[in-house]
Amino acid sequence: MMQIIDKRKYFYVISGVLTLASLVILVLWGLKFGIDFTGGTEMKVKFSQNVPNSAAIYDKLKELNLESLVIKTAGDGMVVVDYRNSNDQTNRDVFGKIKELDDNAVQVSTDFIGSTVSSQLKNSAIEALILAILGIALYIAWAFRKVSRPVSSWKYGLGAITALAHDILITVGVFVILGKFWGVEVGVPFIAALLTILGYSVNDTIVVYDRTRENLLKASAKEDFESIVNRSLNETLARSINTSLTVMLVLFALVIFGGESIRYFSVALLFGVTFGTYSSIYVASAVLVTIYKFQIKKA
Amino acid sequence: MTLRNKLKTKFVLVILLALIAGLVSYPRVVAKIPPVYNALNKLQIKQGLDLQGGFHLEYNVDLSQVEASKRAEALQALQSIIEHRVNAFGVSEPLVFIKKSGANEVLVVELAGVKDINQAKEIIKETPLLEFKETQVDTSTQIPQETLDQMNAQAPAKAAEILKQAQSGADFSQLAKDNSQDSGSKDNGGDLGMVKEGMMVPEFNKALFDPTFKDGTIYPQVVETQYGWHILKKIATTGSGDTLEVHTAHILIAKATQPSLKTNYIDTGLTGKNLKNASVGFSSQALSEPTVNLEFDAEGTKLLADISQRNIGKPLAIFLDGQIIEAPTVKSALTDGRAEISGGFKTVQDAQALVKSLNEGSLPVPIGDPIYEQHVDASLGQASLMSSLKAGAIGLGIVLLFMIAYYRYLGFIASVALLIYTALMVAIFKLSAFTPWGITFTLSGIAGFILSIGMAVDANVLIFERTKEELRRGRDMMAAVDEGFRRAWPSIRDGNYSTILTSIILVWVGTGFVKGFAIILMLGVVVSMFTAIILVKIILKFTLGRWATDRPWLIVRTKDKKEKDKA
Repeated sequence: MMQIIDKRKYFYVISGVLTLASLVILVLWGLKFGIDFTGGTEMKVKFSQNVPNSAAIYDKLKELNLESLVIKTAGDGMVVVDYRNSNDQTNRDVFGKIKELDDNAVQVSTDFIGSTVSSQLKNSAIEALILAILGIALYIAWAFRKVSRPVSSWKYGLGAITALAHDILITVGVFVILGKFWGVEVGVPFIAALLTILGYSVNDTIVVYDRTRENLLKASAKEDFESIVNRSLNETLARSINTSLTVMLVLFALVIFGGESIRYFSVALLFGVTFGTYSSIYVASAVLVTIYKFQIKKA
Repeated sequence: MTLRNKLKTKFVLVILLALIAGLVSYPRVVAKIPPVYNALNKLQIKQGLDLQGGFHLEYNVDLSQVEASKRAEALQALQSIIEHRVNAFGVSEPLVFIKKSGANEVLVVELAGVKDINQAKEIIKETPLLEFKETQVDTSTQIPQETLDQMNAQAPAKAAEILKQAQSGADFSQLAKDNSQDSGSKDNGGDLGMVKEGMMVPEFNKALFDPTFKDGTIYPQVVETQYGWHILKKIATTGSGDTLEVHTAHILIAKATQPSLKTNYIDTGLTGKNLKNASVGFSSQALSEPTVNLEFDAEGTKLLADISQRNIGKPLAIFLDGQIIEAPTVKSALTDGRAEISGGFKTVQDAQALVKSLNEGSLPVPIGDPIYEQHVDASLGQASLMSSLKAGAIGLGIVLLFMIAYYRYLGFIASVALLIYTALMVAIFKLSAFTPWGITFTLSGIAGFILSIGMAVDANVLIFERTKEELRRGRDMMAAVDEGFRRAWPSIRDGNYSTILTSIILVWVGTGFVKGFAIILMLGVVVSMFTAIILVKIILKFTLGRWATDRPWLIVRTKDKKEKDKA
């Protein structure tokens, strides 16, 4: 049997450092928001022969005075041009300039989001996150409504929510770093990924807690709370890992083979699910024990 | 029915379901039976714009100039004009709808497979053009009668000259090539092929079937018809009575005639923006006769007065988007800004149709520049589709292998159920087209589907782990499996609830990408509960028997390596 609860100090340190670091960089650097939230255009152009280098394209577009213009090469003769703008005419002008570089260039994809739409998207993203957090909290309260001694239901809820906050914060932290150093932008799909993580990661925690509850009811008086929780964790270890592993396997396949448009969406899910599994094993139950001990000390 | 028989029935039903789902989702397996294959192959998954290529445009609709009571009508009219316009692209299933976005109305246009996005935007944005045009008979192409007479005066002489040459033994087909003005036959030496009595105009016919006209000779006179002057040669006669046919050739000197008159339409400056209203009315003379009444604004009234004055007795053509829809004749000068179109309508519906077109053309709902635009080239869409399907296949394969390797026979059955799940989902995507809830497959939907494949076996993992525990506790195989299903159920249910909950929130607040993902994920969770629990249970109970209880190691690995070492 693995002594998970016994070693919870180490996991608290690991998780605490990761969560805190994520929070700090989130405040310091912030996420790099994509056009979904800022408004603007992302245009993907395929050049017919030699791809001009970014500097040449930049020179060509300079006179249009585009705000926060970013030019990235995307392989396969493709270049992604990214800028903030608020009207459709600019998009035509930009493509017109690109055509001057290569008359056979093709606009393979365009995403243009006006400022009214982007502010609406931002609002609905915030709305969705609040709704999801409320929904999950209510759900946890409902799932653990049958109070069982010696730990009352809200403590399970607190443990589960701590674990979820941990998963979400670390995933956000990963994307702060991806944004800072690799220019990865977050948009609506990222929010969808966070919500999916919320819904999915809580599953593993519920499985562990269910087992803890079951064992508490059956346990002999000799066994203390700590070791019951530890035993429950060990009993459910294989299913916690295997359920997440199958999901992680398909997400790996999506990240590696799934094409560019959904790559970072899959990356977010992969990180979230991975940390979700970690936290339901090493954090959620540990928090339960800590609350329990704190309660005893006070009493 | 005994328990065993009941189980047998259920098992047969599972196999049937698997077969149907398999056939619908992958009809290529019956490619050798064309009628079945063709019928099944008609079912296709509807692909979103990001996969088949195309674009999605959104426009703000400015309703500030429209009275509150007329807004719904104006929006509907706007929608139908834009539909009319995008139909010009000939794409399949163009989608035009109005959606509410906050306090605003937004016009959404989705076109699949359109290449030139800028041209499409032009066509959508341009306000529909209703124009009133004067008509003018174009006489510039007319030939003066004198010239015509002169031309025709010389023709008989020319024909007579050719006849003389033909009679004096000149080669008839060469003469035809050089002189005939019948473009259809001149290059064949004037050959007209087999001609039956009554096929030709009377004068021609009479000469051709003249009994004195012998085979191989030239008709002694020039024959005049409405087309001109003909020199005839009879090549051969076959049959008799009803089957009588003559092989003949001719040389035509054509008659010069007036070309048909052309009508030109001239802009008058009077357009849809001057039209205040169009409505259906009834003629004051004959009450049963529908009319269309037009009312113009001040500028229009002035223009109409001038136009009608100079066009009395002539038609005034009405054009919508460059196509003529009506050309009523002006009866009198119209000075009060009102016009009545009458006489042309057989039914009230005809009049209403015209009114609808007229009002569409004059509808003042400006839509401005797009506020949202998504465009994907078909090549990129197909590349995304291929790569994500590849990812799905690889992901599915790895999960199957993992389940079999880790859970042995139980894992194998879970894999079978996972394959049925995949086929069932694809079949649902295809068949949903026949319901009001047609599912459109987008890239994010594929991501949701692939993710759901990884989640679908979660239930099996929980069940089998529980089964293992029960086996370790010494239960026999069948009881352990039963217990596994029974006791894992609450965890499976609770776990899936939370995923369904977040999916519902995503569907509710999300648009486009997020909605496509969440709907399919949610559907996947529900369908997988059925395949991973019910199907797996039926298959396991039916197939597990003595062979299994005797070889528990084949069914599932019960001991972890460490525990084995300890033991």
